[in-house]
Amino acid sequence: MNKRKLSSFLAIIMVLFLIAGCSGNKEHPNIVKDSDSNVTPKTEVFDPNMSFDKILEEAKGDTVSFYGWGGDEDRNKWLSQTVAPILKERYDITLEVVGMDIDNILAKLAGEKQAGLEEGSIDMIWINGENFYSAKENDLLFGPFAEQLPNFEKYIDTEDEEVKNDFGFTIDGYEAPYGKAQMVFINDSATTSETPKNAEEFMEYCKKYEGKVTYPALPDFTGSAFVRTLIYDVVGHEQFLNMEADKEIVKAAIEPALEYLKELNKYLWNQGKTFPATSGEVNNMFEDGELVMTMSYGPYSVATGIEKGIYNETVRTFLFDKGTVGNTNYMAIAKNSPNKAAAMVAINEIISAEIQATQFEELRSLPVVSYDKLTDAEKESFDKINIGKGVLPQDELLSKRLPEMPANIVPIIEEIWLEEIIGK
Amino acid sequence: MKSTNSNKLLKIFLYITLFTILAPMAILILWIFVGRWPWPNLLPATYSLRAIKEIFAPYSNVFSILFSSILLSLSVAILSAIIATITARALVLYDFIGKTVIEFLTIAPILVPGAVFAMGIHIVFIKLSLADTVLGVIIIHLIYTLPYTINIMKDLTESVGKQMEVQAYVLGASPLKSFIYITFPLLTPGIMASISMAYITSFSQYFITLLIGGGTVKSFNVLMVPFIAKGDRSLSSAYALVFIISTLLVFLIIDKIIKKLPYQDNKEEI
Repeated sequence: MNKRKLSSFLAIIMVLFLIAGCSGNKEHPNIVKDSDSNVTPKTEVFDPNMSFDKILEEAKGDTVSFYGWGGDEDRNKWLSQTVAPILKERYDITLEVVGMDIDNILAKLAGEKQAGLEEGSIDMIWINGENFYSAKENDLLFGPFAEQLPNFEKYIDTEDEEVKNDFGFTIDGYEAPYGKAQMVFINDSATTSETPKNAEEFMEYCKKYEGKVTYPALPDFTGSAFVRTLIYDVVGHEQFLNMEADKEIVKAAIEPALEYLKELNKYLWNQGKTFPATSGEVNNMFEDGELVMTMSYGPYSVATGIEKGIYNETVRTFLFDKGTVGNTNYMAIAKNSPNKAAAMVAINEIISAEIQATQFEELRSLPVVSYDKLTDAEKESFDKINIGKGVLPQDELLSKRLPEMPANIVPIIEEIWLEEIIGK
Repeated sequence: MKSTNSNKLLKIFLYITLFTILAPMAILILWIFVGRWPWPNLLPATYSLRAIKEIFAPYSNVFSILFSSILLSLSVAILSAIIATITARALVLYDFIGKTVIEFLTIAPILVPGAVFAMGIHIVFIKLSLADTVLGVIIIHLIYTLPYTINIMKDLTESVGKQMEVQAYVLGASPLKSFIYITFPLLTPGIMASISMAYITSFSQYFITLLIGGGTVKSFNVLMVPFIAKGDRSLSSAYALVFIISTLLVFLIIDKIIKKLPYQDNKEEI
């Protein structure tokens, strides 16, 4: 009897503790809100339009968290070994790189917004396309800030279509360019001598190497871009730029391409009944010799692959004559970022010629700086970089670069592909 | 005659089991060093130390994150075992109002789909200021591990019963003493199983750690999964091996500690 009393007493105490702990914490954000004049001046008062010197002053000593996909070990290394030390040394800013998928980043931001959290943990975000569209539409991003960065004016071509629009959606200064990607095709000259120059030749190629070509199932990022490139080649790309995001309209426009893809299925791996789920799987199958061709969004991935010993020396990159889709990826600042000043300083530094040159050298990511705006010394720093084996020069890539479709058309095409193409 | 036959069968079965565990392990270890391994080569065409270099590179922080991850999961495991022991005793040995409800609630976390639960609890945790904190991650892992540990402890508590304790009271022992000298030793195997189960459940969580930890709490899985998702086989194999070895080491240490406990050997005599 005594014991039972004791245990119920203990249970009550535990429950009380829990309640006290919960309610105490629940009030916490409100307390911050009430007295934010001295607790959180940065989030409330931060004005991106103040002079950059002031921003530098405010950013000093801060830690800025950069959230983005963490599966690229070279980029992780570059950020922590090259970018972070420069930021620390010049501006006393600590760069913390956090690997997280963009879907999870947006889920986290949306959850924080719903809960009314004014100071989150995400400062900078690596983002583009559909994700930027939905993040901006849902008011998860801070801005406009890009035009306020000194290096934006100094190095970036502000008239460039990809600086003004991201997947056909106006940027309005809510993100700054980070790197450029472009769809390229990859095969091994030792196993296949052909490099298809258009969709028709690609079909012939698939017929010749029946069952040894495939692409990642949509909505994989690379697979989706590959299908868009084929659609562009079959029906042209101009009509999509101002197309209304209506399934019937899109379907009518891509009808010939759908016929083409259905025909193509017959000659693909497993007769197009199934597709590998990710671009990583397609790459693995190519490395293993199960496929004769793969594709990548990284135009220089062959060079790094050869250097790492993943690819044979005879592997090379090729494009369609009409071109392939290319896009820019960007850096944005979260609306509830606690270190907006430091994030702006970091982004400003990353778009400088110096950092972009190291990014080009170490990651072979196409730089976002405008070559014409560079000084001779800066031009020299880009020119001297050895881009490696099996890849195409930057001017050829850029001359065969097609703009992305508007962000809201992309999911429609992915939906149509899932309904009409796979297994048909 | 019959018994030797079944012994042989058992042996064959054991060897097959061993093979199905060890063969993938051997391939996993081989993959760490593979440069290229094209079909139909039986052995890799080229070898490389890329994955090893990446794992040991100071910038990838693999081992410091591994260490903090082990600490996190161990604290979850121990807390989970303690809570489970207490809960199991309450559920098995006492009657109180709402007992069946609590009994049902102990398995609720595994009945609700993970992603649904995660999104909901994330908002709750933000409101409680628990999101992006180690404490938050420990609590959320506890919620996921408790269904397993409570059920392990419930079965054992049921079979151990209260008689031994009552016996001790009769002989004049205080409740604390009787728990330390009688009940706890009897429950030790279950506690150890609970700790192991909770540890591996906690150590394997990815999505929930990522969401509640918000990237500020880094666990080994949060580091490893992007490479597996990307399909980098060498690097994934290297991470997977570190995962396996570290878990085995932790289990070994738990096992050693439990065996060192003085009353473990006398257990049979009680």
